[in-house]
Amino acid sequence: MKKLTGLLALTGLLGSVAMAQSIQAVKVSGDVTKITPSSKAWRAVKLNEVTLYPQTTIKLNDKKANELNADRKAFNAKVGALYDGKNIAIKIVWPDSTKNTQNSSDSDSYADGFAMQFANSVSNVNELPYIGMGSKGRDVTVVLQKAVEATYEPDGKGDVSLQVNGRNTNYFNKELEIFHKQVDSLSNTDYQRAFVAEGFRSMTEIKDGSMKFNSVMTHKKGKWSGVVTKTMVDSYTKLDSKAFPVVFAVWDGDKNNRDGLKMLSSWVSVNLVKGETELSKVTNEVVKGDIAKGKQVAMDNCAACHHFEDATFAPANMAPNLENIGGYATASYLRESIDKPSAVVVPGYNRNSHPAYEWYTLGENGERTSTMPAYDWLSAEDKTNLVAYLQTLKAESK
Amino acid sequence: MYWNNVETYPGTGYPKNWMNLGGGFNESGDIQEGIVPNIESDYGIPWDYNFDELQHGKELVPNQTPVWGPNWDEDVGAGNFPSDNYFFYIPRICNHCSNPGCLSSCPRDAIFKRDQDGVVLVDLDRCQGYRYCIAGCPYKKIYFNPKISKSEKCILCFPRVEKGLPPACSQQCVGRIRFVGFLDDVESQVHKLVHKYKVALPLRADRGTNPNIFYIPPTETPPKFDAEGRVIEGSNRLPIEELETLFGKEVHNSIRIINEEKKRRAETGKSELLDILIAFKHSEMFRLDNEYYRGYEAHKNNPLKPVDERYVSGKHTKKISHFKAH
Repeated sequence: MKKLTGLLALTGLLGSVAMAQSIQAVKVSGDVTKITPSSKAWRAVKLNEVTLYPQTTIKLNDKKANELNADRKAFNAKVGALYDGKNIAIKIVWPDSTKNTQNSSDSDSYADGFAMQFANSVSNVNELPYIGMGSKGRDVTVVLQKAVEATYEPDGKGDVSLQVNGRNTNYFNKELEIFHKQVDSLSNTDYQRAFVAEGFRSMTEIKDGSMKFNSVMTHKKGKWSGVVTKTMVDSYTKLDSKAFPVVFAVWDGDKNNRDGLKMLSSWVSVNLVKGETELSKVTNEVVKGDIAKGKQVAMDNCAACHHFEDATFAPANMAPNLENIGGYATASYLRESIDKPSAVVVPGYNRNSHPAYEWYTLGENGERTSTMPAYDWLSAEDKTNLVAYLQTLKAESK
Repeated sequence: MYWNNVETYPGTGYPKNWMNLGGGFNESGDIQEGIVPNIESDYGIPWDYNFDELQHGKELVPNQTPVWGPNWDEDVGAGNFPSDNYFFYIPRICNHCSNPGCLSSCPRDAIFKRDQDGVVLVDLDRCQGYRYCIAGCPYKKIYFNPKISKSEKCILCFPRVEKGLPPACSQQCVGRIRFVGFLDDVESQVHKLVHKYKVALPLRADRGTNPNIFYIPPTETPPKFDAEGRVIEGSNRLPIEELETLFGKEVHNSIRIINEEKKRRAETGKSELLDILIAFKHSEMFRLDNEYYRGYEAHKNNPLKPVDERYVSGKHTKKISHFKAH
């Protein structure tokens, strides 16, 4: 019996080490906006491990992709940050044995990619935006980089003569080569985008250049390294406090990943000051409770609508799937959602795709009320045990 | 990618085996999983020849071994020539469904159905090329354009429609088989074909998207021949089960009504249905009164725009545009 207890304690310890969801940003002199994954400046930074979990809150409708991603495991990425007082550079290194780029001739090939999500404002560290592209009133900014060979998005310049197949022109030999070069000059080979969003489906690209950012990704020896650099304070984000939260997501083109088919972290605190911060306490919090009792509370109260672990008897699509909620939700978020489900309403699926199960109802002015009733009446002990149990719900690591 | 194709039935269709690639809705209205077709093996890339090498004495060869292409199985059909072979054509464009599978699959709210006429469009400004729409469309009539990394589809030539002109495919169809109008306009020929006479039927309505393209099924097929090449009286080369698969059980009723009207026409010289099907005048086939659109603009105080207004403010501004969830 003693031996068994010892083993459990060890597992618990390992678990809490993996949960260290904070990184220490290193201040450097000079400009960090030109920093790439291979810059020497990164030698000053000790990269921290952050675990990425499969996004399973909603399931999309690509049959082949769903088969390829059926048994995804969590894996670790290494992240770190550098800042110069005005700009910040954040790095992520993650394993991916195959380099997948999206070319401009395939209909069903997909790109590797990564994204970083920033909270646009944090007035209360216990009320961070929803992990999946923010939530109403808690908007986020997302920087996305995909490994794309070339795209020819219409640029509105009316260069229609260059939008035809070379075979359909009157050109031959040299002239044809010149034509192809002109076409190539229209291509965009660096697929980096910035978006604002307040929940699934609402992402809207920032196209007016009002956000200064850059992102780079390089593949070497079975690993991708990506860096996002951006101005710390702009009209979207204010990243100059003691700490700010960021979420990492990566896509594997080999597994037809795109959009919600991704691996993502929980909120990670980027600390600009030494030691723990209010924010890192939130992102690192592991609730101690009776997990077995917590599971019973979940079975009694949550399983009628949500799927998690072996509780899969609720109709599919009825409510957010919780099987990885412990991987990417903070304890604060879980407590808030139990007490006030409408504080953060997960928009979820397109409203026409599963009409029998609405995740929210709309008021006259478009305000969303979660279909989930509040469970604020649960005893404090039940809530603690429930949150402790929910935090254990996550895919195993590779 | 062909937004508008004519395929031989029975056949693999375009893209290949589109009827088996999923999408659409089940009986409880849940979107179904589907498959994104491959450009080479499912759509087929037209192959090319080494024309420029001919001047150097080379032999004309294709640049790849042609194994598949659009209309690869054209006119093949089923059965054995000459005794009982058969086929017919299905022209296919986007069905501009009332419950579009593409729209419901989009995790970006990039696809919308216009209030004024139900045309289903992709907002290319919002589309991020995820391709779930292709999986969700049971007709595979929305396509991924890999050049621009976005999905595109038939727009029912809405800029023409707004001016009272039919979509170009309908206008130039020499067989005059494409009628266009508003289903709720009781004077329109489409209303009469669909609702009054109930002879025009939706394709694969069992996929739950409420398609808005309606087909008049083939009613007459030649009889079969016996081993000596003699006509088998009363036989029919086209198995009715094939039509049931495409158009449902209602196809029996549709065929019966058309045959009755033919008989009536033969006996009395009169049949409104046959007059419609003869397609005498474009002006009657296409009842797209442009006053409707002008009225719509005036009434809604909202000039018609080619893109969904919901997102325009998000396009080049700093502020997020709050989408109108419904």
